[in-house]
This record gives sequence, structure tokens and C-alpha cells, in this order.
Amino acid sequence: MEAAVLRYRVMAYITGVVLVFLCFVGIPLQVAGHPAVANNVGVVHGILYIIYLVFAWILSRKLQLANKPTVIMLLAGTVPIMTFIVERWITRRFITPALASQAETAEPVSPRAS
Amino acid sequence: MVRPWAFSFQRYPHGMENAAPIEGTGLADGAGPADGTGLAAAAAPAPSGPGWRFLVAPRWLGWHLLMAVSFWGMLWLGDWQFHRALSGNALSWAYTFEWPLFAGFAVVFWTKTIRDEFRIKRGETLTGSAEEAESLPFGVGMIQARAAQSATPADDEDPELSAYNAYLTRLNAEVKNHGRWHGLR
Repeated sequence: MEAAVLRYRVMAYITGVVLVFLCFVGIPLQVAGHPAVANNVGVVHGILYIIYLVFAWILSRKLQLANKPTVIMLLAGTVPIMTFIVERWITRRFITPALASQAETAEPVSPRAS
Repeated sequence: MVRPWAFSFQRYPHGMENAAPIEGTGLADGAGPADGTGLAAAAAPAPSGPGWRFLVAPRWLGWHLLMAVSFWGMLWLGDWQFHRALSGNALSWAYTFEWPLFAGFAVVFWTKTIRDEFRIKRGETLTGSAEEAESLPFGVGMIQARAAQSATPADDEDPELSAYNAYLTRLNAEVKNHGRWHGLR
């Protein structure tokens, strides 16, 4: 679970940073007549997004998410800045409770043991 | 814990083998409303009982429609990029292969999602029943539901320990609810 969370988080941030760079540096340069940056970064983002999709989907299965948050999570990689917002939302709403419940089942609370 | 890549048919003793082919034909048909009727017609002879009925509920029909539209949309975009690539746009070759890959992801993800849903309805990984799974509010996963279930004091413990556990649960809930939306404001 922790490994899946880490993989998702790393890919969310990398994909997010590359997409922000593409949209706020590459696209203006393209409009200004220098399309090389947008072209190359665009392809890189496409490849990163594929990896992001796989990791995000694996995590969504481990968290047993409903369809709606899963789709939001997967599509977040295509909207600038959205990966950061969605990553925080998923963490607060799903990852933290899931990890907490995992810890609870792994080590039952027992004051007598100490 | 769910291991997405470790599905095997042995875990679905009856009827589950139909999940993937049904969804495949549903997507191949393309039309949204036809998905539901196709599913109903194909799944009816299966001995799996009423377990598949949630697939033709309005909400799930909406999901089927969304998946079918996005699948064909992505194939269409791939075709468009392919024609752009043929007409001399070298950059389009990357996207020519990317879009069908995304379309394939959609099919695989959707098939596995439906399989998971069948398993949850069967209660194979859960202590709760299918009715409980259906009545969960939006955004509350099965893990959270199970955590809430395990948080209720067990009756085989002594009262002191269960009181302490209840106290911990209450503290935990308070901490979780406090500042829930911090960071988004």
C-alpha cells in the first residue's frame, strides 16, 4: 500500500510539473513562433501520463475507490495544476484513512501489553 | 489487499467469466443505451443470479456510456493523428500510438472495475454484505467502512479495554474531522 501511494505521488508531481511547464512555458513559446519546446515536452508528458495512469489506477484499486473519484484521479493528469489538487484531496479523503485502518488492523490497541 | 494484476478466474467460481466478454461486446456495440440491453441479454442465461443487475442501473449505464464514448473518441483521435502523421507531421507518430493505448487502458480498467464490483457484491473481501456496500455514501470506500466496523467495541474484550478503544476511536475521529479542508482554502 505505502509503495503504491509513493509511486502514485511521485508520478502525480512529475506529471504535474511537466504539464505546468508545457502549458505555461511551451504553449506561449509556440504561440510566439518557437514550437520546439511544446512539441518535445508534449511527447514527454504523453509518456509520463501513461505511467501516471497505471500507478494511479493501481492505487485506486488498492483503496477500493468508487468510479467517480477514480475517473477524477485518472483525468487529473491532463489538466494543469489539477494533479496537485487531486493528490491532496485523495490523500486527505482516502489514503490517510486507509493507512490508518491498515495500522489499526495490524496492531490492535492493547494497554495491557505495555 | 487487492492485487490488480493478480486476478485469476478461479476466484470467480460461477458467472464471473462472463464479465470481460460482456463488457467487450458492450464497448464494441458503441451505442450507450444499447450497452445496457446487450448486457442484460448476454448476462441473463448465466447462473450467477441477480448479481449483475447493478450493471443496468441508471448510474452504471451512464458509466458504460461514458466509457464507450471515450473509447471510440480516443480511437478516433488516434486515427486523426495517424492521418496527420501520414501527411508529413512527424510529431503525430507518437500520438498515433498513444491514443489507441489510452483506448486500450479504458477497456482494461473498465473490465477490471466491473470484476472488482462483482467481487465486492459477493462480499468476498468484506465483512459487510452487498446491501451495505450499495448504501455507502459517495466517496466512502470499503476500507473506511471496514475501519468504522472494526472501531465498534468488541464484546469479547473486558470493559476497561473496550472503553479505552472507544476513547481512542473518538480522539481519532476528532483529529480527522478537525481541519479537514485545510490546504484547499
